[in-house]
Amino acid sequence: MLNKSSLKKIPRWIPAYYILMAFWFLSTALHIPDGYLSPATTTVMTILVLPFWIIGLKKLREKISAKTVSAVALFAAFSFVIMMFNVPLPGGTTGHAVGGALAAIILGPEIATIAISIALVIQAIFFGDGGILAIGANCFNLAVILPYVSYAIYQAFSRNQPLDSKRRILGSAVGGWAGLTIAAFVTAVQFGIQPAFWHAADGTPLYAPYPLSVAIPAMVIPHILVASVVEGLITALVVAYLIRANKPALEFVNKIETSSAPSNAPKWRTLWIGLAVLIVITPLGLLAPGTAWGEWGAEELTSLGFSFIPEGLEKLSGLWSAPMPDYEIPAIQNPTVAYILSAIIGIFIVVGLVWLFAKLVAIGRKPEPQKS
Amino acid sequence: MAFELAENQPVYEVTNLGFSYDGQTPALEAIDMIVHPHEILAIVGSNGSGKSTLLKILDGLYFPTGDTVKAFGQILSEQAFRDDVFNFEFRKRVGFIFQDSDVQLFMPSVWDEIAFGPLQLGVEKQEIVSRVERALNELNIAKLRDRAPHQLSGGEKKLVALASVVSLAPEVWLMDEPSAGLDPRSASWLKGFISAQAQAKKTVVISTHDLSLVEAVANRVYVMDENHRVIAEGSPEVILSDRSLLIQANLCVNK
Amino acid sequence: MKQPLKSRNRSGIIERTLTDINNTLEQSVFAEKISRRGGLLQVVDPRIKLISMIVFLLTVGLTRQLAVLGILCAFTFLLAALSAIPIGFFIKRVWGFVLLFTGIIALPAIFITPGPAIADLPFGLSVTKTGVQTALFLILRSGTSVSFTILTILTTPWADLLKALGVLRVPDVPILILGMTYRYIHLFLHLTDEMFLSRKSRTLRKLSGKEERRLVGEVASHLLGKSLHLSSEVYLAMESRGYRGYPKTINVFQIRWVDWCYSGAMLAILSAALWFGK
Repeated sequence: MLNKSSLKKIPRWIPAYYILMAFWFLSTALHIPDGYLSPATTTVMTILVLPFWIIGLKKLREKISAKTVSAVALFAAFSFVIMMFNVPLPGGTTGHAVGGALAAIILGPEIATIAISIALVIQAIFFGDGGILAIGANCFNLAVILPYVSYAIYQAFSRNQPLDSKRRILGSAVGGWAGLTIAAFVTAVQFGIQPAFWHAADGTPLYAPYPLSVAIPAMVIPHILVASVVEGLITALVVAYLIRANKPALEFVNKIETSSAPSNAPKWRTLWIGLAVLIVITPLGLLAPGTAWGEWGAEELTSLGFSFIPEGLEKLSGLWSAPMPDYEIPAIQNPTVAYILSAIIGIFIVVGLVWLFAKLVAIGRKPEPQKS
Repeated sequence: MAFELAENQPVYEVTNLGFSYDGQTPALEAIDMIVHPHEILAIVGSNGSGKSTLLKILDGLYFPTGDTVKAFGQILSEQAFRDDVFNFEFRKRVGFIFQDSDVQLFMPSVWDEIAFGPLQLGVEKQEIVSRVERALNELNIAKLRDRAPHQLSGGEKKLVALASVVSLAPEVWLMDEPSAGLDPRSASWLKGFISAQAQAKKTVVISTHDLSLVEAVANRVYVMDENHRVIAEGSPEVILSDRSLLIQANLCVNK
Repeated sequence: MKQPLKSRNRSGIIERTLTDINNTLEQSVFAEKISRRGGLLQVVDPRIKLISMIVFLLTVGLTRQLAVLGILCAFTFLLAALSAIPIGFFIKRVWGFVLLFTGIIALPAIFITPGPAIADLPFGLSVTKTGVQTALFLILRSGTSVSFTILTILTTPWADLLKALGVLRVPDVPILILGMTYRYIHLFLHLTDEMFLSRKSRTLRKLSGKEERRLVGEVASHLLGKSLHLSSEVYLAMESRGYRGYPKTINVFQIRWVDWCYSGAMLAILSAALWFGK
C-alpha cells in the first residue's frame, strides 16, 4: 500500500512529464523506434498496412502506367526533403512537417501511401530514424491514416470548387491538421495498449510503459497545438503557392482519377474505410498473446489525477460491473472493455468534430446543389 | 521486323513533321530531315527552337500524328512502340544522351546505372557484367564504379551518362546539348569521343547551340529558327561562315 | 537528422534548415566511407546481413530477460569493433540518441509504474522496482535495436542494401523506386541548399515570421515543381534505355565461406538468446 499512497501525491508532477514526453513525441515526428511496440503489435500493423500498399501499387500500375515509377520516386524524394524544413510558427516556435497531407492532395491518398512509405523506409534503413520492425506501424500511421483523413477533408472543402478557390487553402490546412492529429491518436493507441498486454510476471511492462490514459493526452494534445499546426500550415502554404504559380499540379490527382466522376460518396468512403480500420485495430490487439490488463485499473488512474479519459472510463466500467471496483479487486475484464471503448469513443469524437466542421463549411458554401 | 538497313538507305527520314505539346502552340513545324548512316549531323538552333523536342521524337519518346518520321525504314508511332519486339529492336539500336545528366542518372550507383539499359533489354547476366566493365574502361571511369550520382562532378556525370549508353552498344547516338555545362577539358574530350563514334561506323545526331562543337565534329548541319522550322541545311563550313543566317537563328549577335 | 522542437530566437530558420541538410549530406558521405572499409560486417553478403538484422531485431523484441538484452547489447559493440567502426562515433550515434530520447521517455516510468518501492525520494515520490525494470527494458531494447540497425546501415553500401531487399521478396518496383528516391533526395537537398543560400546572401535584415513562412512555402513549391518536371523527364530517360514498366534488377552477390561462418554464429547466438530470454 506504500506505493499506492505515494502514487497519490504524484499529480503535481504530471504536467512536467507530459511536457517532457510531448517534446520527445514531437521531435520524432511520430517515427516509432524499435523496442517500443511488441513484435506482435508490429506484425499486426504490418498486416494492416499491406492491403494499402497493394491498393497503392495497383493504382500506380493502372492509372498512370509505367510513368508512375519516376513520379512516385520524385514525390517521395520531395516529401523526404520537405520533412527536413524548419517551419516557423507564430510565436517563434519551429517544427517539422510530414508532408503527407500534401502528398495526398497532389497524388491522391492511394499513391500518397506509397510515396510516404518510401520516404519512411528510407528514413528507417538509411538514417536509423524509426524502427525496422516498426516500419509497418509507422507506415500505417503516417502513410495511411494521415493521407486518407487529410484527403477526405480536403475533398469535402474543395469539391466542385474552382482551382483558385480559397476553400482549397482552408481545406488543405484543416486536412493537414486533422490528419496528423488523428495519426497521433492512432499512434498513441498503439503505445497505450502495450503495458496492458505485454508485461512480465511481476507486472513490469516489457515495451512502451505508459497506458492509454497517459499516452493519448501526451501525444494528442501537443499535436493539436503544434505539430499538426505545422503540417496544416506547410500544406496550405504550398497549395496557396500552387494556386498562384502552378495550377496544373493541383489537377494531377484528377488526371489520375480517370473514371469516377467526383461525387460525394466515394470521397467520404475513404474516410469511413480509414475509420473502420482504426476501430478494428484496437480490439485486434486483444487477440494477440499476452495477459490481461495489469494493475493499471481505471480507479487507480483516476487516483493519479488523469481526469481526461479515465473519468469517462470509470463511468463506463460502472456500466458493466459493480459501481465502485476496489483497488484490491482484480477488475480485469471491465477496464479492458472500457479502455477500448474509450479509444473508440475518442476516435469518434475527433473524426466527428472534423466531419461536423467540414459539413458546416459545406453548408456555408451557397451555390452547391444538395447532393448528400 | 526488318530493322536492317538496306544499302544507302537513310537512318532517319523526316517529312513535313509538325508537333505540339498542348495541341495549340507549335513546338515543331514542317520539318524535313534526312539522317544518313555513319554521319555526324548537328541540329543547331537557339533555346526554344524545338531541337530537343525533335531529338526526343527521333528517339521514339514523343509521337507526332501521321507517318512523318521513319527510322530504319519503319514508321515511329505510339502504336508501333506498343509492340515489345519493335520497342526492343529500336531501343537496342538508338541511344539518347539527355541534356541534364541528373535526368539520365537515376540509379543509386554508377555500376547500376550502366547496367540498367542492357538489363531492361534482356541481355544475359554475364554479358551485362562484362559490358559494364568495358564501358567503365572505355570511358576511363572504373574508379567511379561504386559512386552514387550525387558524388560526381558535372563532367563525371556526363561520362557516366555516356557509359550508360555505351553499354547498350547502339548504332545511332542522339545527343541533346552534349557540351552544355562541361569544362573546356571535358568538352574537348567529348569532341574526340563523338568523332570516334563515327569512325566506328555509328551515326550521331547532336542538337546544340555550341558552334565550336559543330565546327569540330559535324559533317552536316541543319539550322532551326525560333519559329520551330528548319531554315538551312549544309556543310559546317558553309553554315558557320554565313553570319546573317546565324543571326537570324539567334546563334550569334550582330557586332 | 531530426531535432527536438525549439523555441529559440526566430532568426535562423534558414540557417537551421541548412544545418540539417548539411548534416544529412555529411552523414551519407561518412556512411559511404565506412562501408568501404575492410571489416567483418563489410565482407558479409548484404542479403545475409539483412536477414540477420531482422532476426536479431525480432530476438531483441521477444526477449523477456534484462540480462539477455544486456548481452545482446554488448554483442553489438563487439561487432562494431570488428567492423572498423570508430567506437566513439558509434556510441555517440546510437546511445546519444537513445539516452536523449528514450531516456526522457522512460524516466517518469521509474516513479509512476505501480510496484514495490525500492527507494523513497522527497516530495513523496518513490522509485519502484517494476519502474526501474521497465525503463531498462525500453532503453536496452530500443538501444540494442538501433545499434544493430546502424551497424548494418554503416557497413553496407546503399545500392547493395537495396538489391538485398530482393531476398525478402520485396518486388522489383518498390526497389527501383527506393533507389531513385534516394538518388533524388540528394539532388533536392543540394537544390534546397542553393535556394536557401542564395536567399540568405540577398537578405540583410532578419526576416519576419510571415516572410519566413512565405519563403518556406516558395522553396517547397519550387521543389515540388522541379519534382513534377523531373518525374516526366526521368521517365523518358528510362524508356529510352528500354524500360517498359517491368523493372529488372541484377546483383553480383556470392555466398562465400565467411557468410556461412557469420550465419552460423548468428544463428547460435540468437537461438541461445531466445532460449534464455524466454
